[in-house]
Amino acid sequence: MLVLSRQRDERIVIGDEVEVVVVDIRGDKVRLGIVAPSTVSVHRKEIYEAIRRENQDAAGLRGELPRIAASAAGSDAARRLAQQQLDGPRGAHREIA
Amino acid sequence: MLVQTTRFGNVQVDESRLLEFPAGLLGFSRSRRFALLQPDDRGVFFWLQSVESADVAFVVTDPCLWDRDYAVTLRREQATELGLAEGMTPQLLVIVNRRDHGITANMQGPLVIHPIRRVGMQVVLADRRWTTRHELVSVSPAARAATA
Repeated sequence: MLVLSRQRDERIVIGDEVEVVVVDIRGDKVRLGIVAPSTVSVHRKEIYEAIRRENQDAAGLRGELPRIAASAAGSDAARRLAQQQLDGPRGAHREIA
Repeated sequence: MLVQTTRFGNVQVDESRLLEFPAGLLGFSRSRRFALLQPDDRGVFFWLQSVESADVAFVVTDPCLWDRDYAVTLRREQATELGLAEGMTPQLLVIVNRRDHGITANMQGPLVIHPIRRVGMQVVLADRRWTTRHELVSVSPAARAATA
């Protein structure tokens, strides 16, 4: 791993398009600004990892939907959906569902 | 077109109705095209089935059905990438998971979809109010025993 020392307001360039700037340093906390094209996603690692893990975990569900649906029956969401179907679907729902 | 799935066998879907996630989902960057399968007309859950990988499928639901306050704020470049015009409301879906105590949804990583182009992305929300395991339904121990 490359380790660089930087002071406040100094920058690091990664490739042609990504820049990292040290915005502020206070005690053990560093605030970083990141300039990157929209095609490069930038996330706090722990949040990114949590979502990736959750995706992988959720992909393990098998034929459990009937059971899930059964336990959701009678919930507020089910009632709201029923109401929505009475009212007629919204445009976005009609497109997708 | 015919989509092969490990859960439902071969499923016939209208190709024009597929959802495309150009960047895939986090941890599933190779799954880009999905079919939204609706098990029954009255259900609140759908299967998001990968076209490329027969064994990749997620249970999803519309988060707005569960919490009327739920909203996703996109950065300008994210909206541009999806082709969302100003004031256009995207379709939202969240991935559902089953726990011992009930059902949770990943409200921190919603799928945001252009309702007409049918192109989407998984967004990571900075708002700490929403978690990856937001409880949708809590199952009582008695009900759990009955369905086990």
